Amino acid sequence: MSVPSTAEFRSQLVAWLDDNDLTPPPDDHSLDAHQAQHLRVLSALYDAGWMRYGWPESAGGLGGPEILRAVVGEEIVGRGIDHPGPYSMLEVLVPTMIDYARPELAAEMVPRLLSGRESWCQGFSEPGSGSDLASLTTRAEQRGDDWVINGQKVWTSFAQYATRCVLLTRTGAPGTPNHEAITAFFVDLDTPGITVRPLRTLHGVDEFCEVYFDDVVVPANRMLGKPGDGWRLAMDLLPWERSTCFWQRIAYLYSRFDALIGDVKGLGSAVDTDLGEAYLALHMLRCRSRATQQRLADGQKLGPDTSIDKVLLAGAEQRLFDTARDLLPGVIELDDNQWRTEYLYSRAATIYGGTAEVQRNIIARRLLDLGKE
Amino acid sequence: MATEFDAASIELLEDGLRKTMLSTSGAELDAALAELGWAEMLSDIPDLAIPLVFRLLGETGSHASVLNDVLLETIGGLPGGTPPMQYAGGGWVVWERTNTDATTETLGGLPLRRVPDGELMRLGEARRALSWWLVGSARAMLALARQHALDRVQFGRPIASFQAIRHKLAETLVAIEGAEATLSLPGTDNPDLTAMLAKAAAGKAALTAAKHCQQVLGGIGFTAEHDLHRHVERVLVLDGLLGSSRELTRKAGAGLRARGSAPRLAHL
Repeated sequence: MSVPSTAEFRSQLVAWLDDNDLTPPPDDHSLDAHQAQHLRVLSALYDAGWMRYGWPESAGGLGGPEILRAVVGEEIVGRGIDHPGPYSMLEVLVPTMIDYARPELAAEMVPRLLSGRESWCQGFSEPGSGSDLASLTTRAEQRGDDWVINGQKVWTSFAQYATRCVLLTRTGAPGTPNHEAITAFFVDLDTPGITVRPLRTLHGVDEFCEVYFDDVVVPANRMLGKPGDGWRLAMDLLPWERSTCFWQRIAYLYSRFDALIGDVKGLGSAVDTDLGEAYLALHMLRCRSRATQQRLADGQKLGPDTSIDKVLLAGAEQRLFDTARDLLPGVIELDDNQWRTEYLYSRAATIYGGTAEVQRNIIARRLLDLGKE
Repeated sequence: MATEFDAASIELLEDGLRKTMLSTSGAELDAALAELGWAEMLSDIPDLAIPLVFRLLGETGSHASVLNDVLLETIGGLPGGTPPMQYAGGGWVVWERTNTDATTETLGGLPLRRVPDGELMRLGEARRALSWWLVGSARAMLALARQHALDRVQFGRPIASFQAIRHKLAETLVAIEGAEATLSLPGTDNPDLTAMLAKAAAGKAALTAAKHCQQVLGGIGFTAEHDLHRHVERVLVLDGLLGSSRELTRKAGAGLRARGSAPRLAHL
């Protein structure tokens, strides 16, 4: 099958979406309903081929440049067909499998995720290892052909719906430097010894989980890469998280901004400055993200420069929902609605995926060359 | 003049322009730029010449009246004119082509003079040019503050080692990179809105740089003995020219309200 240009691809996708109504059912805002919609959307997109472009044929894809994935994400999330959270998981999980899993394992598993037959999660953060991820202590010990895992993960998004987990563990002798002592596994979550417990959150959507591992036995052929490759695996995710993945989140933010403009356009010129500031923040972010994806498409390696994209995204997201709260007084506080959930969730934008402070540390050290703290 | 340049010849041009700007300013710089072929560059290769020349004006802290030429090119005016330009707050100014350094009342010595009135014209290209100037000035301030942070020792170590300092400089870079991204957009969809947002972003980035870099430079940055003040004064003046960041942001908001949705100007 030949791969179309970005513009052709988009117009064909839009035409297909016009003919195939994937609008979510209107009244159920539960996380269960979101998950069901997510799987339904993936299944339809996979069957029609859209979910397979931009992924290599060796893993069940149809090939073509990665930017096609950003186009699908923009249309799906920007139209409110799927939520940005679940959809974004694909962009961090699939590249990991393609780059680090045995080719047979990637070929077997990746289509299950892309087609919505399964969901997976990412077990990285721990109670004692947030910003300092490399200090993680969930332990994997070799026993014959197996590895035995003990420890606890936290902030594991959608673990309650997941069949498998990309898990970071600590291996090696005591004293092994942090960045060489981390090893990743692809773990079936129905393995005995695993307990998943959703956390109650500020915004009332319990997508984050704690995951406990108690003598969990994982076959050695489920290791991703070699022992000690785990830190590199975690770092290799960032370019995807901060390009294709950001682009669809930006599409979601623009769609919510349109909704806000619709809600306040009758209020007269008093709203102009606030709307303008939110727009400027979103526009800067979108321009920056566009440039980042073009660099990626040109074959450049993304590095610490994406910390700038991350700071711009978190800032624009909080600015947008702050503006909603300012211009729709009482709506977040007195009415139980989507603006409340989104406003509260946006408080986390400067915390997840590397805090705003960690990003500024990276910018200072790596981009401004200010030396050590 | 050839319309295609390779990287080496652009670098050569940039070096030549920078050297010239570092050694002269005002009407003398206008004359030197004319000799370097500014008029031909502006008509033949504006997409290369405008970003290059205006960014370098910012980086070097020099000034020339070349914004007149960009406006005249847009409206098809006679070379050598000084079309009145809008200033923040509904005012109008002209950018004199003669040296008035000794007499100008404008902050930082730019030869701007208030005039009672002017004509509305398309400002897209001129706003983009000014945005490049503001971004260049912001980068110059960041470079000065960065060097100071590395050199200045207090409490027995360079102040660059303190997170409070590092984060201010990081914020400055984020603002500059965000503004530059808006300038790098082709702007084919809606050139006027794209240019307006770029000017708003560049003005805001330059004011952010002025604020943070001034703070990082501490006392020395408040003296006229250090170069920072030239850039601070320059960006205060240029932010107001052809509409301030604050005014343009409000205007963009009014446009959204009238339209009822937010234009997506950047596409993959």
